Amino acid sequence: MKVEQPTFDEKILKLLKENRGVYTSGVEIGKNLDLSRTAVWKHMGNLRKAGYEIDAIPNLGYRLLSSPDLMTSAEIESGLKTKYIGKKIHAFSLTDSTNTKAFELALHGAPEGTVIVAEGQRKGKGRLGRKWESPKGVNVYASIVLRPKIAPSSASQITLLAAVATARAIEKATKILPDIKWPNDLLIRNRKVAGILMELDSEADMVNFIVLGIGIDINMDINSLPPDVAKVATSIKNETGRTIERVPLVQELFRQLEKWYEIFKADGFGPIITEWERLSIMAGKYIRVSFLKETKEGVALGLDTDGALLLRLPTGRIERVVAGDVTMVR
Amino acid sequence: MDLKDIKQIIKVLEGTDVTEIEVEQEGVKVRVKRGGFQPVVPVTPVPVLPRGVEVPPADESASTVEKPMEKDSHKLKTISSPMVGTFYLTPAPDAPPLVEVGSIVTKGQTLCIIEAMKLMNEIEAECSGKITSILVENAQPVEYGEPLFMIEPA
Repeated sequence: MKVEQPTFDEKILKLLKENRGVYTSGVEIGKNLDLSRTAVWKHMGNLRKAGYEIDAIPNLGYRLLSSPDLMTSAEIESGLKTKYIGKKIHAFSLTDSTNTKAFELALHGAPEGTVIVAEGQRKGKGRLGRKWESPKGVNVYASIVLRPKIAPSSASQITLLAAVATARAIEKATKILPDIKWPNDLLIRNRKVAGILMELDSEADMVNFIVLGIGIDINMDINSLPPDVAKVATSIKNETGRTIERVPLVQELFRQLEKWYEIFKADGFGPIITEWERLSIMAGKYIRVSFLKETKEGVALGLDTDGALLLRLPTGRIERVVAGDVTMVR
Repeated sequence: MDLKDIKQIIKVLEGTDVTEIEVEQEGVKVRVKRGGFQPVVPVTPVPVLPRGVEVPPADESASTVEKPMEKDSHKLKTISSPMVGTFYLTPAPDAPPLVEVGSIVTKGQTLCIIEAMKLMNEIEAECSGKITSILVENAQPVEYGEPLFMIEPA
């Protein structure tokens, strides 16, 4: 696997960030990175073009005034408070699917916590080959590689964990707490604001790795979506009227994921179920579950100990649901 | 980069799960793949020997290649579900099935997807061979350990 080296643009940006608030002279930057002053000046031009506001004063040097809200590894790493999730970030401006990329990297041995982010996706993935609308520059598309030492039969618990972490991250960053719809859709006013899709590589009795794909609709204009999607989707901006900075939200997402993953590793699935049920609106509601070939209706009772949804059918029989599309009927 | 360096890289791969590595040094790019279909190191094929015959230790380079499978056409291999979930033979509802009865599959090829709570688990062929039966219908629930496919190993 190829090891990427940071570019001079990234190295200069890092220096400017470390010296935020003060001027750093071009000579000093040049000495640090073994570049001529003219070269430093050229790289400043690149950064400005990318949206960074950089003040330059002769004899004093350069100072970073503001950063654009870009999903680059430099932006996300700066101020990230995690131990391993996001320690290695691969950022793309456009990719087919962050899940596909992460899966490839994980097959090549990418360590736990490796993250793929993209500004946009050409083939954003949903369940059963469905598409996840992925316009450029407005949302979060992130895939995280995890390597839990669990059996594949327990791996689906991580999808519920991801729903809890994502809901808490959105709450922290935007002050809006989404509802969770089984198993891991996040809704605001009954419209989907975030989706989670996990893919697994496993031996018969042990997981090799999990790719946790998370899409959060943040500043997307709902009217730009195909009409059938626009009916059921929303974005944070659509709900609040405010433009939300994506980088702090992604940093909070990684922090919450790590927090809940650590809880899961230490104390098992119990605490996740408790938190999930606290955040879910489903218990006691009459719901419809659509499978590929049939649908079932009944009252959602809550989660079984493994995360399966318990559904009480009109006949009184209680059934376990492990896959399917849930809609709330009333 | 010389032969010694490349041997060094191969050494690094041994005993790990890593099957492919790409190293770039002074403009020279070397990619080493192991266990796959195109080993970089040329290897003389190991002849299939009758049972009971002592196999002399192969030379060092051959250790990166899997041993050929023993042929035993009477023994069908069962592929079972590693988890509770829904069985999908197609990656999308309108897509063609991943395999059919009679399909020739190679080890590691995806045979079906088991979904549980939006976790998509691609089930791979544990060996190369021919699919002789598919025991579950598309989109049906499966239990832990439920047999899904029978494969006649090649």
